[in-house]
Amino acid sequence: MTRLQLFGVGALGLAVLAAFVGTPVPPRPGQIDVNQLAGMIAREEDHVTAIDLASWIKDRKAGLRVIDVRRAEAFDDFHIPTAENVPLPSLSHAAFKATDTLVLYSDGGAHAAQAWVLLRSLGYSRVYFLRGGLGEWLDDVMNPVIPAHAAPDLKETFKRTVELSEYFGGHPTEGDRPPATPTSQRIEAMKRRGC
Amino acid sequence: MNSLILASTIGVAFGWTLERAGLGSARKLVGQFYLNDLTVFKVMFSAIVTAMLGVFWLSRLGIIDLGQVYVPETFILPQLAGGLVFGLGFVVAGLCPGTSCVAAATGRGDGVATVLGLFMGVLATGLCLPRFAALYGSTPRGTFTLPEAFHLPYGTVVLLIVLMALGGFTLAERIEARR
Repeated sequence: MTRLQLFGVGALGLAVLAAFVGTPVPPRPGQIDVNQLAGMIAREEDHVTAIDLASWIKDRKAGLRVIDVRRAEAFDDFHIPTAENVPLPSLSHAAFKATDTLVLYSDGGAHAAQAWVLLRSLGYSRVYFLRGGLGEWLDDVMNPVIPAHAAPDLKETFKRTVELSEYFGGHPTEGDRPPATPTSQRIEAMKRRGC
Repeated sequence: MNSLILASTIGVAFGWTLERAGLGSARKLVGQFYLNDLTVFKVMFSAIVTAMLGVFWLSRLGIIDLGQVYVPETFILPQLAGGLVFGLGFVVAGLCPGTSCVAAATGRGDGVATVLGLFMGVLATGLCLPRFAALYGSTPRGTFTLPEAFHLPYGTVVLLIVLMALGGFTLAERIEARR
């Protein structure tokens, strides 16, 4: 048998095994490693910021899926661009791929964090949640307040924030951050201005 | 910086492999259009099979993360048009972008001319982009891979492509033997 034929037989053998294995990602364990999850939470590897998420959506990050775990009515009222509505009760039936990067969000952050634990327990490894929820998106992406006299090293960060905000149709302003108002009121205010 | 070093290393290895396979010569490349030398087909399909099996099994063994692999978006009409322009350039020059760089690096005049033409084409396309922006973004189909497009398990697609490659190699050898 020549060297070329050997390569051919080797490739065929690996391909036949691949057909039996089926998926390039190991099967889901169906259980959670509590210590591992606790470590991830402590190291803050379980969530993303609204700016990170905006950046991922804008850059079309490979495999990114933004999941809104609120009720359908709330989703229809307002949602983050590209988001899909998968309410908490439907989470276990959702057709996610093991290679997807899932970013979960809810109004606040609690439900998304709970959804994060549920999906981790189903074996999905690339799961994050928006810690500040929709409120963080509204504050940091749609209505960012840029300090008027920022330190020079922070100016580049703010420039990126302004770019992202304008990409998503937000209204960056310069000055002091206004006092916090409930998320629902901010959504209504944004809808009134025609966004 | 690390990614630049890695990219340069892979690029040099790619060029070295192309040259070793004899693909720096336009005569060798146009041989596939006359069906008397199918080296290009065999080299490229070998590379596809090697990369596909490598990615599948490295991912399966937990060494690489498939989620990090960028899948380009599909735009049917502009990519069809781009493919035709690419094919026309390939037939006229007898070289493709990778092999033209190899040909130029080994001092072949046609390689240098093709690389210059390639960069002029890139520049012209960039300057004219606003004129055909509508075509550029038309018929979007998003990102999908063959297993998703055909609704087949990933491993089955891997096997089918390897079988297709092995059949293609056998056919290529027979065609070359007749000439």
